Amino acid sequence: MNGDLQSRIKAIKQKLSSQDILVFEFNSLHGKKFAVIYADGIVDKNMIGELIVKPLRAVKESDGEKEIKLLLASPEVKEEEKDAKVIKAISDGNAALIIDGESKVFIIGVKSPPGRAVAEPPTQITIKGPREGFTEDIKVNLGLVRKRVKSEKLQIKTITVGKQSQTAVALCYLDGVCPQGLAKKVEEKILNKEIDLIPDSSYIAGFISKRPRSLFRRNSTCEKPDIFCAKICEGRVGIIVDGSPIALTVPYILTEDFQSAEDYYAVSYRATILRFIRVASVLVGVGLPAFYVCAQLFKIQLIPAKLLFKIASSVAGIPLSPSVEIFLTLFVLEVLNEASVRMPKYVGLALSVVGALVLGDTAVKSGIISTPAVIIIAFSAICLYTVPDMVETTTTLRFLYLIVAGSIGTFGIVLLTAYILCYLCTEQDYGVPLLAPFAPMITRDMADSIYKANFSALPKRPKVLGSPNKTRFKEKR
Amino acid sequence: MKERMSVRQVCFILIAYNAVLKLIIYPSAAASSSGNDLIFPALFDLAMQTAIIWSIAYLSSRTDKSFFQLLESTFNKVVARIVYALFALYFILAAIVPMVEQQLLIHSAFYDTVPSLYVFLPFFIFSIYAGAKSFTNSGRCADICLPVFLISITAILVMSAGQGEYSNLLPVFSHSVPSLFGGALSAAFKYADSAFLLIFMGSFRYKKGDAAKITLSYLFGGLIVIALLAIFYAVYGAMAPSRTFLLNEISVFFPAISYVGRIDLTLLYALDIVILFAIILHIQASVHCLSLAFGWDKRSALSLIVNAVLIVITFVVNNKFSPLYQAASRWFWIPALIFAYVLPLCAWLLKRGDKR
Repeated sequence: MNGDLQSRIKAIKQKLSSQDILVFEFNSLHGKKFAVIYADGIVDKNMIGELIVKPLRAVKESDGEKEIKLLLASPEVKEEEKDAKVIKAISDGNAALIIDGESKVFIIGVKSPPGRAVAEPPTQITIKGPREGFTEDIKVNLGLVRKRVKSEKLQIKTITVGKQSQTAVALCYLDGVCPQGLAKKVEEKILNKEIDLIPDSSYIAGFISKRPRSLFRRNSTCEKPDIFCAKICEGRVGIIVDGSPIALTVPYILTEDFQSAEDYYAVSYRATILRFIRVASVLVGVGLPAFYVCAQLFKIQLIPAKLLFKIASSVAGIPLSPSVEIFLTLFVLEVLNEASVRMPKYVGLALSVVGALVLGDTAVKSGIISTPAVIIIAFSAICLYTVPDMVETTTTLRFLYLIVAGSIGTFGIVLLTAYILCYLCTEQDYGVPLLAPFAPMITRDMADSIYKANFSALPKRPKVLGSPNKTRFKEKR
Repeated sequence: MKERMSVRQVCFILIAYNAVLKLIIYPSAAASSSGNDLIFPALFDLAMQTAIIWSIAYLSSRTDKSFFQLLESTFNKVVARIVYALFALYFILAAIVPMVEQQLLIHSAFYDTVPSLYVFLPFFIFSIYAGAKSFTNSGRCADICLPVFLISITAILVMSAGQGEYSNLLPVFSHSVPSLFGGALSAAFKYADSAFLLIFMGSFRYKKGDAAKITLSYLFGGLIVIALLAIFYAVYGAMAPSRTFLLNEISVFFPAISYVGRIDLTLLYALDIVILFAIILHIQASVHCLSLAFGWDKRSALSLIVNAVLIVITFVVNNKFSPLYQAASRWFWIPALIFAYVLPLCAWLLKRGDKR
């Protein structure tokens, strides 16, 4: 390896020719020549000055690598010889210190990528409990995890994924609590796929799933480190992806979506009621529009007599059939939803006023759609957002149910339900059935499913996860 | 692939699936043949079938082998394959009546106007998919179905029990014993659940005391049917034979229905999910037997074949349910006797080998 400073700089710059790769050359007071190469924008220049340039002023001409390393004030110093590794380290946001006459290059951790501060995640807001949320920086996220799980059993394995993006992906698990070989399986599944870019953890979610095209997801997502740590402590493997504030955990069971962080900080009775409400809301949200169509088209006896008269007076004169009417209203709702999410904040506000009030009110007054249709679709939409993690699935299911209800009727609803149940009963990832603890029924795990027992009644980790260390809570005498 | 179920799942199947298929048209038919004594033939059939269920469950305590393996070790593979091919045919045959009953129930309870046969045909899309699944899936579905069944049936019982005139059931034994025995014989094809347990042998790991659990589960399911038969006759009396569907009609007199609408229909829709899985179990069992009989592991293709046969039958017997049911009452007891009584008892004569 050539120790000449200029030729070394030239070699690296040839491969890292981008203009944001900067070279800072400086001399010590005794004339020793150095160069620092770094990627502009993702390093802390003050740290370069304080940790590298300042201490090295005292270097003598005769000082070798060992003496220079001792002078460096950074706790994160690595030695590299191969240019390829040096280039990767620079791309990662480290500074490469080249010393004239030396073959080794010091890689110094001065990474400071732009990012937002730790804040409460917008999708998992809680009244009680911690408010910290993951950010896009993997180091911050791992720090948030370490802050909560200080055990020596916590294992963090970092792998690099993405041919071009070289994204860091960290697998977190508790040694002795996580089932043997589970982390390895997850790692293999991730490394088996080759892709250019990993912009978000959802890409990794597709890699680790047995059926990535399934309507039902196969991994849990969370933005809060307290939930993430709780899941790791149950025996799951957590995955944090650099650049994504959403962490993943596997294995996944469907009931996880009905659990909220707050359930664990509130009184168990209240948590149980809330969980029942969530389940009922999802069932109503998915089924109500379809049920309304069926009742009107195929079995009018399902509606109580007094309510039937009200509905009859509302739908009189509506030019559309009940199924088309509901489908149209649902379509308008989805359009409004999509537009309000994409539009700038202030326009979005105006849009919701125009959409919800003006459009809805006018459509009802002009007799294009009926009041019950608007009420049903609005209520259905609200219901589905009680379980936000399932919204992608439940909104699709709502459309499916509506199509089936409008074409086959109530039997179609029953058939589709049976089909979904049969499908869910079959599916399992990493040996964990999706519908556990209901199918197969695991009585012990029921205490934290739809029903939420007090934590003292949950001394064991979930049986379905197969953790080798079964006990998570015991009273000391 | 080894198909594993737990004993709990076997018990759930015997409670929910056993009961639900006897609650469609059978109560009306029983009322027609035995009048106010309708529960006695049912009790006789239940007692006989419970004894056979116990004998199979007890046999499971003596061997880990499946019935196929027992046949194979006693005779040879060819004999085992022939018997299983016959079993597959039997399960197809046994699926016909519940399937057509279900079709009629749907036409009656799910629609205000009589829909065309095509409304029922999507059932086969589900059936082809679910029929290819293993017993592991059947067991898990039973885990879901039992709570649905228990909640719905309890609600139906509560809604109907108070509306009955129980003196309708008196005097007991107003029909002659041969007539009651005839009723029991004609309903024997409905009480043939032991055939399933025989096929399940080797698919579940027996632990001490499981024979009692399995037997009591079957008895529990059977007693629910008998309770509903009694209430059905108490509610409708001599009109019971003309009320075709128990589930659709038993709780219509519940006072709250006039205020809240036909909530009993909602319960019926929930129960229909259980009925669907109970019928699918016949197809799964048939596919399982065919797979072993022909040594062919392509379950999806086998399910397609079984369902194709059932689709043809559905078209053939369309609008001919009455003659079908009469023929079933008259003749189906023969295959039921062979596959649900004789063969399970013969299983005791087969070489069991040592239990591991």
